[in-house]
Amino acid sequence: MLKNYFKIAIAVLRRRKFFTFISLFGISFTLTILLVLTSFLDKVVGDSYPDRKRDRSLYVTHLQEDGKDGQSSSTLSYYFLSHFVSSLKTPVKLGISSTYEGTNTYVNNKKIAVNYKYTNADYWDIMEYDFIEGKAFNKQQIDNADKVAVISEDMKRAYFGDIPSVAGKYIEADNVKYRVIGVVKNVPITSYNLYSDIYLPYTVAKTDFTKGKGYLGGFTAVMLAKSAADVPRMRNEYDAMMRRIPMESNRFNKMYSHAESYLRSYVNTGNENTSGVTIVLTIIVIFVLLVTVLPTLNLVNINITRIMERSSEIGVRKAFGASSGTLVYQFLIENIILTLLGGLIGLILAFVAIQVINSFHLIPNLVLSINFTVLGIGLLVCFFFGLLSGVYPAWRMSKLNVVTALKAQ
Amino acid sequence: MFKHLFKLIWNKKKQNFLLMTEMLFSFLVLFAVFTLLVYYYDNYKKPMGFEYQNVWVISYNNAYQTKSTDSLNTYYEILRQNIKAMPEVRDLSFCSFNTPFTNNMSQGRVTYHKKEFYHMNFYTADDSYPATMNMQILEGRWFNKTDIVAKDKPIVINSDTKEQLFGKGTAVGQLISNGDDKDKMMRVIGVVQSIKVKGDYAPAGLGLYQRSDTGSLRWFGKIMVQVTPGANAAFEGRLYKTLANYMKNSNVEIEHLTNKRTSINYFTLVPMIVLSIVGVFLAINVALGLFGVLWYNINQRRGEIGLRRAVGASGGAVSSQLIYESMILATLSLIVGSFFAVQFPLLNVFDLSAGIYISAMLLAILFIYTLVFLCSLYPGRQAAAIYPAVALHEE
Repeated sequence: MLKNYFKIAIAVLRRRKFFTFISLFGISFTLTILLVLTSFLDKVVGDSYPDRKRDRSLYVTHLQEDGKDGQSSSTLSYYFLSHFVSSLKTPVKLGISSTYEGTNTYVNNKKIAVNYKYTNADYWDIMEYDFIEGKAFNKQQIDNADKVAVISEDMKRAYFGDIPSVAGKYIEADNVKYRVIGVVKNVPITSYNLYSDIYLPYTVAKTDFTKGKGYLGGFTAVMLAKSAADVPRMRNEYDAMMRRIPMESNRFNKMYSHAESYLRSYVNTGNENTSGVTIVLTIIVIFVLLVTVLPTLNLVNINITRIMERSSEIGVRKAFGASSGTLVYQFLIENIILTLLGGLIGLILAFVAIQVINSFHLIPNLVLSINFTVLGIGLLVCFFFGLLSGVYPAWRMSKLNVVTALKAQ
Repeated sequence: MFKHLFKLIWNKKKQNFLLMTEMLFSFLVLFAVFTLLVYYYDNYKKPMGFEYQNVWVISYNNAYQTKSTDSLNTYYEILRQNIKAMPEVRDLSFCSFNTPFTNNMSQGRVTYHKKEFYHMNFYTADDSYPATMNMQILEGRWFNKTDIVAKDKPIVINSDTKEQLFGKGTAVGQLISNGDDKDKMMRVIGVVQSIKVKGDYAPAGLGLYQRSDTGSLRWFGKIMVQVTPGANAAFEGRLYKTLANYMKNSNVEIEHLTNKRTSINYFTLVPMIVLSIVGVFLAINVALGLFGVLWYNINQRRGEIGLRRAVGASGGAVSSQLIYESMILATLSLIVGSFFAVQFPLLNVFDLSAGIYISAMLLAILFIYTLVFLCSLYPGRQAAAIYPAVALHEE
């Protein structure tokens, strides 16, 4: 039976080539846009290099202080993280790192822009960077304030050129020479809390972070729990700590900071009243509606036209005893075949589009790809489309009176 | 005649309903895209307000810690002389961290005649700022040494602020208060051309400049340097060494405004390009859909058209009837669409000026009409070519 429907569907598609083209165009293009969007989102928030332990991690990225005269919100100070957050019992490790900042270095009269980041030792235990050579600095080296650095693959190429090994060589950044002890695989800049070109021990910074007692500063932290089950306890302990600690000054009367999952911390707006998650979700939903509603309407329109054209066929089948259900079923199958075909074209188009986007290097180190998640979502969207644009026309068709249907021709 | 056409449309309301919904949605989508495009274009047309081509920004931090203001001044004065002495440097200025083409902002509220203005950008800069940036002074003057003794704090405002606060009147000499504070009055001494600090496609925004005082140097973190056109990376390396050796405890970075402009523009351009591609795709989609449906409708109505031809209607009359019909359909959906669209300027959503919304609306309406007209042109011609004898014979 199914084979029969398939044959009919192909025959119908070939009869009115213009309509087939319109339908396929709509489906494939919409799918392309959605696939590129998914692959982008999947890469930006779904890719867990280098923090593969996300399921048992919580991220601390913001502190907001409210007072009568206004509010200030920012990343946190080293003092706050090392003094208050490190006193928590549940986290087994607390990785602290500064937000990346820029400086220059000049090699052979060529300028290289460098982003650097300071970290503590736990950071390297939590993050699983892929080391191409060497290894991370340890607690001992940090305490000694050794001028050592872990650099990224890109930095290695930009600074040293194409040479096999750079461990032990010196790199100059910000007018200071550091000994390279490790090279790691690139992190895309979209993982902005983990990205950097050069990673340095926090003790070698020109500013002594351990001195100040302010709460706001340029640091973020990752807390690692023993197991995923401990995460809620860790979150509660953090909240309890926030209620306990004193205000930074009497200008403020309220303080907010949360230990959040990766996704929440990623889109954190730094404002307690407007959640980044809501904003991002709203934007995505509006965009998806925008690109799907119109083609769907279009498809419904075309499908009605198509089906009504075949009223004589419907009339004959009805006259010979086919129930409305069978007919609806047949048309839905036909429509899903059409959408799947469009989906296939869309997939090819998306693949091409992604190659083009990758070749432009719009965002450093961000390489988009179609993986199973993206593929699955594409398939789901296809079915949804097929059903959505097939149900209404099929329903209208099934209402058709045998006599009218036959007479129309 | 229109009454008759309405009747025809009404008789097929079920069929036309979907078509109209589609037109309505495409209108709303186009309205959104055009609003954005018009907004960006509107900003793009305005002058940049300064020359960024040969200006570099030096960022530093934590350079010199001292309690004594005098030694602080001496420290930075020596630095200024050192940089200025380089033949490639034309001028330089120490200023607050909200330099052009960064995401850094320092905003506050000012009050003038009890009217409040939010999102006022506060810039702090020294006397050589306009020379470094080649800014245009439209009225009054920039700061100089005589401003130290002024009773009310002297400020320079940008032309956008002038327009908002004083309209066509003179700005120089007026008093503005900082927030609600009656004691903190600021006197306008000059007006400069607004500079588009957020790139070519973003509005300049309200802005006022304050003169840097001796304490400002404690928290300043930026130096703007105008270099000669020939300045190269070798010179930049030398400049960098000079700075890094002088400010031993500081992290120094040199950036070029040209590069920063490119990257900040990119943040507005990319969404604009994506939206335009999506918009074009949707328009093609709708056009194809309309075309298909209209074409099919005409084939369905062969009998009716044949009859009209038989009783004497010319081919032109038949094709224009079909075009009129689709135009009326478009008009009906545009009326509904405009009802929604007009809420944006009325309710002042997103704080854009009404002119932008209205031009976007007109553009979207024009676009839809053109689209519908073009799509019904061919089916209309086809209908005109129907021979009454053939059509009636089929019936």
